[in-house]
Amino acid sequence: MRGYPAYLIGRLGQFLLVVFIGINIAFVVTHATPIDPVEQTIAAATQFGATSPEAIAMMRQSLKELYGLEGSLWEQYATFWRRVSVGDFGPSLSAFPAPVSTLILRALPWTVGLLTVSTLLTWVIGNLLGGLAGYYLRSRTLRFAGILAMALHPIPYYIIAFVLLIVFGYLWPVLPITGGHTMNMQRGFNLAFIGNLAIHSILPITSLVLAGLGGWFMGMRALVSNVVTEDYVVYAELGGVRPQRILGSYVMRNALVPQVTGLAMSLGAIFTGAIITEQVFGYPGIGTLLVSAVHVGDYSLVLGIATVSIVAVSFAVLLIDLLYPLLDPRVKAR
Amino acid sequence: MTAPALSVTGLRAYYRTSHFGVEREVKAVDDIDFQVGVNEIYGIAGESSCGKSTLIKTIAAAIRPPLKVLAGSVVFNFGGRAVDVYRAGEREIDGIRWRHLSYIMQGSMNVLNPVRRVRNSFVDFAFRHIGRSTAEFTRVVVDHLKRLHLEPEVLDAYPHQLSGGMRQRVAIALATVCRPEFIIADEPTTALDVIVQKGVLAMIRDVQREIGSSLIFVTHDLAVHANLCHRLGIMYAGRLVEEGPTSEVFRQPLHPYTQHLVSSLPRIGDAEPKKGLEGAPPSLADPPSGCRFHPRCPVAMDVCRGNVPPMVTVAPGRRVACFVAAPESRP
Repeated sequence: MRGYPAYLIGRLGQFLLVVFIGINIAFVVTHATPIDPVEQTIAAATQFGATSPEAIAMMRQSLKELYGLEGSLWEQYATFWRRVSVGDFGPSLSAFPAPVSTLILRALPWTVGLLTVSTLLTWVIGNLLGGLAGYYLRSRTLRFAGILAMALHPIPYYIIAFVLLIVFGYLWPVLPITGGHTMNMQRGFNLAFIGNLAIHSILPITSLVLAGLGGWFMGMRALVSNVVTEDYVVYAELGGVRPQRILGSYVMRNALVPQVTGLAMSLGAIFTGAIITEQVFGYPGIGTLLVSAVHVGDYSLVLGIATVSIVAVSFAVLLIDLLYPLLDPRVKAR
Repeated sequence: MTAPALSVTGLRAYYRTSHFGVEREVKAVDDIDFQVGVNEIYGIAGESSCGKSTLIKTIAAAIRPPLKVLAGSVVFNFGGRAVDVYRAGEREIDGIRWRHLSYIMQGSMNVLNPVRRVRNSFVDFAFRHIGRSTAEFTRVVVDHLKRLHLEPEVLDAYPHQLSGGMRQRVAIALATVCRPEFIIADEPTTALDVIVQKGVLAMIRDVQREIGSSLIFVTHDLAVHANLCHRLGIMYAGRLVEEGPTSEVFRQPLHPYTQHLVSSLPRIGDAEPKKGLEGAPPSLADPPSGCRFHPRCPVAMDVCRGNVPPMVTVAPGRRVACFVAAPESRP
């Protein structure tokens, strides 16, 4: 365990570097675009009537200040970092004067909740079924599950979302098809509200789980059918080790190691994968927010969402990397 | 004479596969008879793909499809209690494993689970037999390790932290911790260099002597057999062709195949170039008729092509399956 603190510090440094470079790229890209948000706002403000040049100059000055666009590029850069470091991305253009950070913070829990639950659910169900299917190759039920997973796998997730929408919203309307919760419902930490949230999340989560299951299932089944031929598994069977122990500690544990890397990848995709799902089910998350921001050209909101995504993706990967040595002792030996 | 620790009678095990309607049958173990005495080390020698490992799997009741046992019996005798491996129930076999019958496997460098500490492997394999409290179990294991000159610290290591030779010794300690009456060792020294090999062989011999168990030792390395085994059986193409006390088999091999094997060994002061045997071992999916060695045999006769030579006793303790070496067995 002596090497772990060193590993931790090294990995943490790497995380900070990735975030720094990523945000810099976002800064450069937004400042290299020909769209000038200040001029756009002024154009929008003045298109309905004549405004005096002095008033326009004053408006331009205060807008530049607001967006952190004063002075040379270096001064802007410094201002940008000063603001980002305290989580301030300036005001939103489309929902002026609400700050970008407020909008993001309002949408973030929806997306993170939806995708964490569905990603973990997909991973657990897919790996469990895939592992069992790889171990009990003769089981009829598991073979059927394999065929089902393989049939679902190539269907795009938004098609599954639409099919669920039609089935449970129109043909057999038992589930709510839009929104994160019932409109105008009193929010609070009580059973009624949480139940309402859960019911609203069933369709989006089911669509994501069904779409993602096949990949994990097939990957794990292939991994397990490889691991069962390893010497240590055969030996444990010869040694009369309990079958549950063989399946858990010998087969699954060894097969799961690469799957955890895969989990990191898909947790990283949380911020891009759900955009269409959120749109289809009218879910008030980051995806919906991003799409509407792009539509109305809300430049600071897009930059804010990009920054949050960069931090979140890097953090997810960092977290998995830190957990990895606990799962596979060989990683620690580096 | 007391009952042998293991009697194998008329054992026949084939691999049967059927791919897209094409049936294939690999006769990996064909009509094998032999016995292993109590406290005896019995060596099985033969070249690669002659069916050694299949024979071991069959004896150890570790067969999986497509391998299938067609005939014969494998009967162990654990201190007066006879167990017929292919008639006993699943539960009985399960109770025997590791307590009475254990294995040192081919490629046993990789028999330890890479993500579990060595201690947990001992718990998984042996705790149900040794039982009692955890502290007492640990004491038994540590005592056993010490007897084998292994540091108790290896228990807290992961397999990848041990060297190859060390892993092999841990595997042997694991196989012998329950003091089984019967041990099957399948090429345990094959991947090791000669220095480590020597240590491992000494360890196997010591532990066998100390526990007083019977041992089957399989390897293609005749030098190892000469060093370790009391009796030696030679396999060729899925059949046992010769058997006898190790020293006699080396001094006076009877079967032409054994003669070639023994003459291929380098001797001190022997400057004569070694000659390879013509041809290759036959495919077990389509073995030659009669004696399976006849296409490569320099002294083959007509009778060898059409008839399978039976295994006959030619002298006390010496058996051979060859019409040339045992003329009285000719039809």
